[in-house]
Amino acid sequence: MNLAGSVLVAGAIATTVLTTVVRAGSELGLTRMDLAFLLGTAFTENRTRAKAIGYVCHFAIGLLIAFGYAAVFVVVGRSTWWLGAIGGAIHALFVSTVLVNILLPAVHPRMGTPETTANQVALIEAPGFLMLNYGSHTFLLNLVAHIAYGAIVGALVTV
Amino acid sequence: MRNRGYAPIEDYALIGDGRTAALVARDGSVDWLCLPNLDSPSVCAAILDAANGGAFELCPDAPFTTSRRYLPGTNVLETTFATPAGSVRVVDAMTLSNGGLSPMRELARSIEGLSGVVPMRWRFTPRFEYGRRRPRCEWRHGVPVAALDGEAVAIPSWNAGSPAWRDAAVESQFAIAAGGRAMLALATAYAEPLVLPGRQCVAGRLDDTIRFWEGWTRDRRYSGPWADAVLRSALVLKLLIFAPSGASVAAPTTSLPEDIGGVRNWDYRYCWIRDSNFLIDALLQLGCVEEARSLFWWFLQATALTSPALHVLYRLDGGAGPAEREIGLDGHRGSRPVRIGNGAVGQAQHDVYGDLFATAWLFSERHQHLDRDTGGALVEIANHVCDIWRRPDAGIWEVRNGPFHFTHSKIMCWVALDRAVRLAERHEMPARHLGRWKQEATAIREFVERECWSDTVGSYTRIAGSDDVDAGLLMIPTVGYGDARGPRVRATIDAIDARLREGDLVFRYRADDGVGGGEGCFLNCSFWLVSALARTGRAREATALMDRLVARANDVGLFAEEVDPRTGAFLGNFPQALVHLALIDAAFTCRAAASTGQAE
Repeated sequence: MNLAGSVLVAGAIATTVLTTVVRAGSELGLTRMDLAFLLGTAFTENRTRAKAIGYVCHFAIGLLIAFGYAAVFVVVGRSTWWLGAIGGAIHALFVSTVLVNILLPAVHPRMGTPETTANQVALIEAPGFLMLNYGSHTFLLNLVAHIAYGAIVGALVTV
Repeated sequence: MRNRGYAPIEDYALIGDGRTAALVARDGSVDWLCLPNLDSPSVCAAILDAANGGAFELCPDAPFTTSRRYLPGTNVLETTFATPAGSVRVVDAMTLSNGGLSPMRELARSIEGLSGVVPMRWRFTPRFEYGRRRPRCEWRHGVPVAALDGEAVAIPSWNAGSPAWRDAAVESQFAIAAGGRAMLALATAYAEPLVLPGRQCVAGRLDDTIRFWEGWTRDRRYSGPWADAVLRSALVLKLLIFAPSGASVAAPTTSLPEDIGGVRNWDYRYCWIRDSNFLIDALLQLGCVEEARSLFWWFLQATALTSPALHVLYRLDGGAGPAEREIGLDGHRGSRPVRIGNGAVGQAQHDVYGDLFATAWLFSERHQHLDRDTGGALVEIANHVCDIWRRPDAGIWEVRNGPFHFTHSKIMCWVALDRAVRLAERHEMPARHLGRWKQEATAIREFVERECWSDTVGSYTRIAGSDDVDAGLLMIPTVGYGDARGPRVRATIDAIDARLREGDLVFRYRADDGVGGGEGCFLNCSFWLVSALARTGRAREATALMDRLVARANDVGLFAEEVDPRTGAFLGNFPQALVHLALIDAAFTCRAAASTGQAE
């Protein structure tokens, strides 16, 4: 399988695993993080439609990010599960501290920021530092999910 | 008036959204609320533990009296507080989604000053997991938020003071003048981020919720005596139906005691097969065809998982009911233990087969044909009834010292086979075992007439060979066993009337059932007596009794499972579906008896 093909397969499997781990955490009452809900409500107020759109977006983003991992593997000249797992841990830290905590509230039309107050329009609770607003286990769950994502991409991508 | 922090059961009113429900006391305190669903753990459970259960209080900060009502044709509660300084009106509702982005569940509390300037106070004490766990008390964008793992509750407020967290509770005071308005909301999330609503959004949803309930009530079909009580019962039943599955809880509460200080405290937040039969009948009579269809298909789906044996009760999602266990709450006025789950799930109760077939017959007769798979499943169940009816069971009242040969169970097994024969003869199910069903139905009838009749008492008896009577046998004329106006049926009703009735109220039996402690009179039995009297040609007596029973509802038209015959106080889980179903059946039966001019 060529590089692009292996990245697509790895990205699809890894995103499925990541999504499943996070959803399982929600169902077990460990976190209120719902990636599909967060992404989908950027486009619509309808809950059902938002979750459907959110899952599609999340899957597409998962595939794109797998190409980012592949680029790193090409640069370092090797691809292994543990290298991917390290990448996953860094990825989780970035997501929890910058992407979802700072960038998402800045662009999400329905998410609160430190400057907004709940007086006129419905606001989605912002994730907060390490997404701890969504439950004390959220960061740990997110870390595990992203390490699994990285390890799968690292193991399946052929450089 | 509270007793050691506990409001009487009759002081509560129910609000809900088809997913969960809350009990609001006359003094404005939300003392029972489970999140996110009816059968989830509680966040407010002060009704079961005044000190540690959690509550959402809202009332004048001065001595007050209250008057209450539901807004006409709705499940939206209006409480008017009168104080020496003036009066204020609070409107409480669980809002319904109107398409916009709204919290997963939302309880809106709208406050309006009517006269003077009234000092008000509110305090929300969230206690997750039946009071066992205190939340993290935080703020999001200026809104107090209580969070615990996968769930969170926010309390946005407008013109209702400056809230502050104290001892894991958020509270505030404010004054409201005539014409002034304030608003509180309880916005919740489970397994997803909180949505923090704006004031206009909450107000808009509250208006839409009122309009929805008014429209729903307009579509109900009942005119005749006790119309208010019938429509209120329909509205209560709608709140007890879990919208995602169509299943209905027997009551939205657990462990409200059948005897203050006693041990008969059970969890009713599950769907009982027998209630479903009564509910489908009532829904069809009231013109709620969609709700009836939804419940019927849930019924078939849930029972398919255990077919041909049926469980007594199922979870709202159709799964098998959870085992019973005790939790550490103090109990309503010290009535311990508080239980979650229900031990009846492991019992054999043969009457449920009659309920299943009666439901299938009813649905087929009034609305639509059964599909081939359903017919096939019913064949297996009918054959199962032929196999088991000779065995003893725990009976309709779920006794814990059995099993016994309950007459009611035998009669309901006869009902199962009688309806199976009728369905097969209408080609609704395969008829290859028709002969066996007829033969076994005859055998059941012979057994009942021979073993379950007492010449000494002059009545069908509670158990084969005994001399006890059983209010469950008031259902005989309803289910169509024997001749409703024949001597044995009339004599049984007379015997129950003489031995179990106390004033207008009826005990279900007076025999030992293996539980211990006392209990009140079961209101469903009292309404069954009304129906039985009406069906056996005593319409005037039935109507008079119905008038008196309907007057026993609380100030907003709700009934608990039982009444203490000495004090008139409510006992048991509240409000109870079976009582409201029995009320509806009694009203329709009395009306029919009056319209056909049945003689005394």
